[in-house]
Amino acid sequence: MADAILTMENIDKSFPGVHALDHVHFDVRCGEVHALMGENGAGKSTLMKVLTGIYTKDSGTITYEGKEVEFRNTREAQDAGIVIVHQELNMVGDLTVAQNIFIGREFMKGFKIDDKKMIEESNKLFDELKISIDPKAKMSDLTVGKQQMCEIAKAISHKAKVIVFDEPSAALTEKEIEDLFAIIRDLREKGLAIVYISHRMDEIKVITDRVTVMRDGGYIGTLITKDCTKEDIINMMVGRVIYEEPKTKSSVPADAPVVLKVEHLNAGRMVKDVSFELRKGEILGFSGLMGAGRTETARAVFGADPKTSGDIYVNGEKVTINSPQDAVKCGIGYLSEDRKRYGIVVQKTITENSTLATLEEYVKGIFINKSEEKKITERYIDELSTKTPSADQLVVNLSGGNQQKVVIAKWLVRDCDILIFDEPTRGIDVGAKNEIYKLMNKLAAEGKSIIMISSEMTEILRMSDRIIVMCEGRKTGELDISEATQEKIMDKATRDIA
Amino acid sequence: MNKKKPKLLSDQRFIVLLVIIALVVIYMIFSPEFRKYSSILSMLDFSYYDVLMAVGVTFPLITAGVDLSIGTGMVCYALVAGRLIRDFNCPVLVAMLLCVLFGTIVGFVNGNLIGVMGLPPFLATLCTCMITRGISSMVMATPWPTNKQPGGWFHSIFKLTFGTGRNALKLPIGFVLVVLLVLIMEFVLNHTKFGRYTIAIGSNKEAVILSGINVKFYHVMAYTICGTFAGLAAIAYAAVVPTVQPGTGAGLELDAIGGVFVGGVSATGGYGSVIGTLAGVFVIVLLKTGLPYVGLQANWQQIITGIVLIGAVMIDVAKRRRLAKEI
Amino acid sequence: MESIKRNAFVKKVGFNRIILLLILILMYIAFSILVPGFFGTARIMSVMNYVYFLGFLSLGVTFVIATGGIDFSIGPVMFCCGLISGYTMMNKGAPVIVALLISILIGFLFGVFNGYLVSYWTIPPFIVSMASMNIAKGIAAVYTKTQSVSWPLSTDPEKGWFRNLVSYKGFPVGLVIFLAAAAICAIILNNTKIGRYILCLGSNREAVRLSGVDTKKWEMLAYVICGTLVGIAAIFFVGAYTTVQPGYGDQYNNEAIAGCVMGGTSMVGGLASIGGTVIGVLIISLLQEGILALGFAKDIQLIVTGIIVIVVVYADVMSRRRKN
Repeated sequence: MADAILTMENIDKSFPGVHALDHVHFDVRCGEVHALMGENGAGKSTLMKVLTGIYTKDSGTITYEGKEVEFRNTREAQDAGIVIVHQELNMVGDLTVAQNIFIGREFMKGFKIDDKKMIEESNKLFDELKISIDPKAKMSDLTVGKQQMCEIAKAISHKAKVIVFDEPSAALTEKEIEDLFAIIRDLREKGLAIVYISHRMDEIKVITDRVTVMRDGGYIGTLITKDCTKEDIINMMVGRVIYEEPKTKSSVPADAPVVLKVEHLNAGRMVKDVSFELRKGEILGFSGLMGAGRTETARAVFGADPKTSGDIYVNGEKVTINSPQDAVKCGIGYLSEDRKRYGIVVQKTITENSTLATLEEYVKGIFINKSEEKKITERYIDELSTKTPSADQLVVNLSGGNQQKVVIAKWLVRDCDILIFDEPTRGIDVGAKNEIYKLMNKLAAEGKSIIMISSEMTEILRMSDRIIVMCEGRKTGELDISEATQEKIMDKATRDIA
Repeated sequence: MNKKKPKLLSDQRFIVLLVIIALVVIYMIFSPEFRKYSSILSMLDFSYYDVLMAVGVTFPLITAGVDLSIGTGMVCYALVAGRLIRDFNCPVLVAMLLCVLFGTIVGFVNGNLIGVMGLPPFLATLCTCMITRGISSMVMATPWPTNKQPGGWFHSIFKLTFGTGRNALKLPIGFVLVVLLVLIMEFVLNHTKFGRYTIAIGSNKEAVILSGINVKFYHVMAYTICGTFAGLAAIAYAAVVPTVQPGTGAGLELDAIGGVFVGGVSATGGYGSVIGTLAGVFVIVLLKTGLPYVGLQANWQQIITGIVLIGAVMIDVAKRRRLAKEI
Repeated sequence: MESIKRNAFVKKVGFNRIILLLILILMYIAFSILVPGFFGTARIMSVMNYVYFLGFLSLGVTFVIATGGIDFSIGPVMFCCGLISGYTMMNKGAPVIVALLISILIGFLFGVFNGYLVSYWTIPPFIVSMASMNIAKGIAAVYTKTQSVSWPLSTDPEKGWFRNLVSYKGFPVGLVIFLAAAAICAIILNNTKIGRYILCLGSNREAVRLSGVDTKKWEMLAYVICGTLVGIAAIFFVGAYTTVQPGYGDQYNNEAIAGCVMGGTSMVGGLASIGGTVIGVLIISLLQEGILALGFAKDIQLIVTGIIVIVVVYADVMSRRRKN
């Protein structure tokens, strides 16, 4: 076995309030695919960002090709041969595919950029990868899957020696994943070192040689993939945390009334003819790949984005929802996947955030009744056990889990009966995650109805009473929890409809 | 994916061209005055500085920024240079170069305030707008040399005159010059690193930073080029305005920026074309100089330019909304 | 330093505002020493004349900046208000009270126009400002046929009474009105739904919208409030300076914005202080008086305010960067 081309030792990194990386060890060899695993927030992406100089490490050493290195930015890392294929796509939508692939290192003819050569080279790359994309197409016109392929092509064109794939399969269909694996095997043959970040157990078994597991920013251990079982890895990932008992059968009585009914909903390109029902006290899981149209469905139901057609019934009555105001009036609350952008006003206090959806009720004459406002906020701080010194604390100073509780409080103050949780535990540490789960179960038991969108299979299987699977904007399956398995869901989620 | 739309009709530049033709036809029908060669000539004369400012400001606008200092800046450079010619016997050529230099410096300052220090573009340039205006207010009004005075040769850059008196033949070579500059800058925008990164900054700045490109440098460049063109515009301005007045120039940037938006640059950046800018500015110039011919007093210009600017951006917003609906 | 910041009184008033107040006082002392005869009521009254109209402009633009927007049409719109209402009174025989109402109405209409385009059409505020600035200048010039308008003097037995709004027998009525207006603005901003929504949407528009709040309505309202205050500013301008000329007014944009951002209102929105704005306006007004008193051309003020805004906003940018 060859020596490691890249070794990261004792990497330590803290952000205000978070010990993001706690003396982590990681290495990768030429001609191997090394998986980096862990739950959301375990520190995988942070570690890779330290590697490529987006973050600077507090301590520890990085040895690359026998020399200690410290890259100051991605450019230096690229030049040295370490490239990341990012989870969030970093593409300039207004430029073409070829222009994107060669951005920052254009071929020149004197002053002129040699676009012709860039197109030729892009075609060569795509041939090598056996994919067909028009290098002259505008980036923003491509599907997420194709954009991902362009990212990979870009990485390869850097003459990379180490390629880091950061959750590459999150947005890909089964066919595209197969293509991706073929490419990765090919790269391994050529002697490249590959780091593969994912939390899909199946893929790990199929494609990787070794697995390193991280949890809560700490290094847990490294295993040879073929010598270990799925359970070994799961145990390492989850560790001491005891989660809510997974559901084996639906806890909703068969005669529970339908509180929300959506029929033939269409919105843009991402939501096509979606129909579903939500019953009182139910947690309805929405599963699917990234870009399957789940968030878009939720946003259309909530009126955040315009819909083309479709009917919505709340408690049996047909309602018109054209804006979030309409939805809130119908008793629907929405917790966005991107809390900082869509959920909370970070520079304002907990009180101001908690009453944002209900301010009318706290206005006396023309003035806001600040003491009433504070009273209700403090009640929910207690009830949700939000950790904060006071209700006047700015939300920006809270941890992710507590911020999420503030958003939940906002909708509970409003007394919403239907709650849409979009990726409720994204970016929340493992302990707080369980609290959110408990809270959701409690709310459902109290008669609230919950739609939960989640990309984490374990979360879907642990929490839902019923599961709806989406693929490419369509509903492709509906499963009761008693019959649901990971395989069944994946099968429906990766169905190549086209 | 490769829908071949009837490309010509969906190209805003083509539509703008039709508008220009329509305007010219309307003016010619309603005003015999406008049909004269001298009218066209004078309209062109007064278009050059607008075009030059607009070509420059196209770049900041594509980065999703703006430069509000070009109008007052232009007047300021022309005044200071004019003063140098009168009081310090500065050769006209040197004065012209100084105009360009001043513009470039102010542009560079703007670029640093915005690209490096991170100030909001409209605010930073509003300040430099006021500063250049303050400076120009303190300089006495100065005419540059007229055609017949020594040093008046610089008028020939924009208008070649053969013969004298009534029969003199005047050729608007400034137009050729301006078109040439437009073509060069269109090339720069589409086929050089500077142009490409200007577009990329306007489209997705984060992605450009992650690509390891020195974004600050190109951001500063965009404003510097804009300043340089404001300096060039100062020469064209001095050539047509009998006496440059101190403390003026506020509002002139509107014509240029309006023209750029009419020409199809997106208000959110990331897309633009210098040729489009040229066409767009001519719509504004036609409205500006043509209105008196159809009996509207000059003050209507400001109102109409303002409305045209809003209209152009509204079209852009509507276009983007339709696109967003499809996704 | 830290202990001063933690003092209860300092906390209540705000550390930055105390610093600002100190700057104001030091400036006054400095000018009094440098310029013989600067100390005294005459100068103060002159400064106050500037404070009144600039104060209303600044109060108005504070609301807009709190939403994360900008309005630099306020100066020319103020002139437009003063010109149209004055012309209607002097040349078309409208009573003074009608003229004053017209002034406020025009400001209000410009506020509606700007607000509608910014919030419902999502046109960038700087573009809207640029357009309405020129539209305001154009309309005023067309209406008055490019004539300047002089409002009646206080000696005018029939029409001069409106000047009592500025000062009555030497008593600064204007100051009382301005401070009252500032107090009302502060209450609106801190204790009513309007202010709460404006500040929150300035901080995170999407989050507020997704809470079921009609953000467009509230954003537009900020511009309408601004416009109305600009209409009032016009009354104080003519009350103090009598003559309005078409085609001008933009020099006051920067001063109003300067007063606002100096007072601690953040250009990115979400954070605003009316008290700070009032002190900021006092500083800018004192500065312009001082510059004139020192014998400099009044245009130096343009340069100085420009630099002040750059420095203050840069400080704001830096403090936010440090926090992240």
